Amino acid sequence: MDVFELLKRIRLFWSRIPEQVQRLSLLAVFFIVLFIPVRNLLVPKDFGKYGHYRPSALEEAAAQEITYAGHEACYECHDDVVDTKYHGYHKTVACETCHGPAAAHTEDPDVELPAPRERGYCPLCHEYLASRPTGFPQIVSASHNPLKPCIACHNPHDPVPPHTPAECEACHAAIARTKAVSHHVYVPCVRCHETPEEHKVSPRQHRPSKPATREFCAACHAEGATTELETRKVDLATHGERYTCWQCHYPHLPGSR
Amino acid sequence: MESVVEHLLPRLKEITGFIYPNEIELHWSILVVVYPYITGLVAGAFILASLVKVFKVKEVQPTYRLSLLTALAFLLVAPLPLLAHLGHPEKSFEIFLTPNKQSAMAMFGFVYAWYLMAVLLLEIWFDYRRDIILWAQEETGPRKWLHKVLSLFSSDISERAVRFDRKAVQAVTIIGIPSAFLLHGYVGFIFGSVKANPWWSSVLMPIVFLFSAIVSGIALVLLIYMIATPMRSKQIDMDCLDKLAGFLFYAMIVDFSLETLDFIHRIYESEESIEILSELVSGKLFVSLVVIQLLIGMIVPLVAIALVKLFRTPAELRRLLYFVSALLVQVGIFSTRWNVVIGGQLFSKSLRGLTAYKMSIVGVEGLLVSIAILVLPFLILLALFKILPPWKEARHEFGPPTGSG
Repeated sequence: MDVFELLKRIRLFWSRIPEQVQRLSLLAVFFIVLFIPVRNLLVPKDFGKYGHYRPSALEEAAAQEITYAGHEACYECHDDVVDTKYHGYHKTVACETCHGPAAAHTEDPDVELPAPRERGYCPLCHEYLASRPTGFPQIVSASHNPLKPCIACHNPHDPVPPHTPAECEACHAAIARTKAVSHHVYVPCVRCHETPEEHKVSPRQHRPSKPATREFCAACHAEGATTELETRKVDLATHGERYTCWQCHYPHLPGSR
Repeated sequence: MESVVEHLLPRLKEITGFIYPNEIELHWSILVVVYPYITGLVAGAFILASLVKVFKVKEVQPTYRLSLLTALAFLLVAPLPLLAHLGHPEKSFEIFLTPNKQSAMAMFGFVYAWYLMAVLLLEIWFDYRRDIILWAQEETGPRKWLHKVLSLFSSDISERAVRFDRKAVQAVTIIGIPSAFLLHGYVGFIFGSVKANPWWSSVLMPIVFLFSAIVSGIALVLLIYMIATPMRSKQIDMDCLDKLAGFLFYAMIVDFSLETLDFIHRIYESEESIEILSELVSGKLFVSLVVIQLLIGMIVPLVAIALVKLFRTPAELRRLLYFVSALLVQVGIFSTRWNVVIGGQLFSKSLRGLTAYKMSIVGVEGLLVSIAILVLPFLILLALFKILPPWKEARHEFGPPTGSG
């Protein structure tokens, strides 16, 4: 088929299309034809090479000035401090968390790094907050040796309490506060948790026990137990017989649902 | 630092229980409330228009073109709250250049463009084409040229061409109904798929959004029809109004049932979030959810329209009740959007506390901008009334066309 024949056929086909569709399709073709060069012009050439972004953005990000040095750089000169910290509770806290970005200091030791000495700094992590995990040391700074800088008692590179905590509350702040408003307020922690003395020094290695049987709670709460009249008593034979007590009752706040 | 503390201190007093520090400021403001409200009106108005074409409901014919223009006016404004909220509107076209198929929000650009270009504009164009050509023939000056350009310089108004137009409108409407469902269902999908938020995460969300959209769209067209007709010194067609109110009533029944189903399902499921959500509903959302959305926006209009349907009432009273009901429905649906968007951000992800939303008056995210965005579609609609009058008397009845054709 020659070109003229083809053109003729196209013209015939075109003339059979309703007039309004002709106009709309011309408009559509116009927009599509306009869209293609505009898209080619505006989309960066290498877009999508690695993912849904512009690869040269990686180079731009890499070209930014580096301000943090990383803790390995600290080790080269301050190996004694880094070693101390490595064996202490702050081993997962990077040096630059407290001392700030250190890249400039590693280039030129005369550039001094800040060392926070004021009281407000440590409570950023250690102020009591109900959402912090239990076991994480927390204080109420208003009542915890007011006005005394933290570093007067605690070595930030090896933070241990100056004396072994007498109360569980020092680390288990949220539980202690919950228990303080519950019916169990006068039940000491150690009545339910057998706690080896070493737990206070290395808490993860020596964990306290937890009551595992119904009979444990029954010692106070079974009918016929010799506890005070106010202590709630239940018939163990009929009361939630298939469950352990703490599956329904939170022992640190037994009244809660 | 001090200014930050000053800014936050009054908010702290409104917080109850425990919230995370980054939850004190709401990220989605009133603009994000306005956005689903407007797209809902678009989808609802369009679905009303399709009743005439697809389901052949003759009574609501007087509102057919009105609904289409209303949908268009609101659709043109629909992206504005998002652009104002996100900032950098000059970059918004980039979502079309490099489409991200993984992002529901990015794909909205295509849903919107499809709905605007392939559905709404096309249907309006096919429906008006004959009239536009005839108007252009009668007019002079800039109006003539405006209509000539709008008709894309088409001139064929033979019976065959007009018959094709009618068929095209029919076809576009049939494509349009699922598209309108997609447009607003998509908005519900965005909220329903936020799985970390128990107030939003529900598979019913797109459907609930859709039916509340139909309710709000019908009520809006009813309001506009009731205001525009007397302003043009014309008589309101009571058959049309009764039918509109009927559709409004049935759509509200379905919407009400769906919301009740959602509510019962949540209570029966009683997930861990139920306590904070019940605290939210009985506290901070009590007025906007129970009083405004449920009582004023749903039950009062339902009872009013039901009474009108049950008892023989004079036309004057019917008009009054329809008007007040439609107005209350608008307030109720806006409140629905508010309760979804703002309510979903008021409780902490810890499920242990509630924060507060303080709406600013000025500023891009403020009340004044939202009011301006809500007024703008009505101004656009007025302009559309001038360019493409939807009224019966502006229409050229079929018969021998006045021009050569």
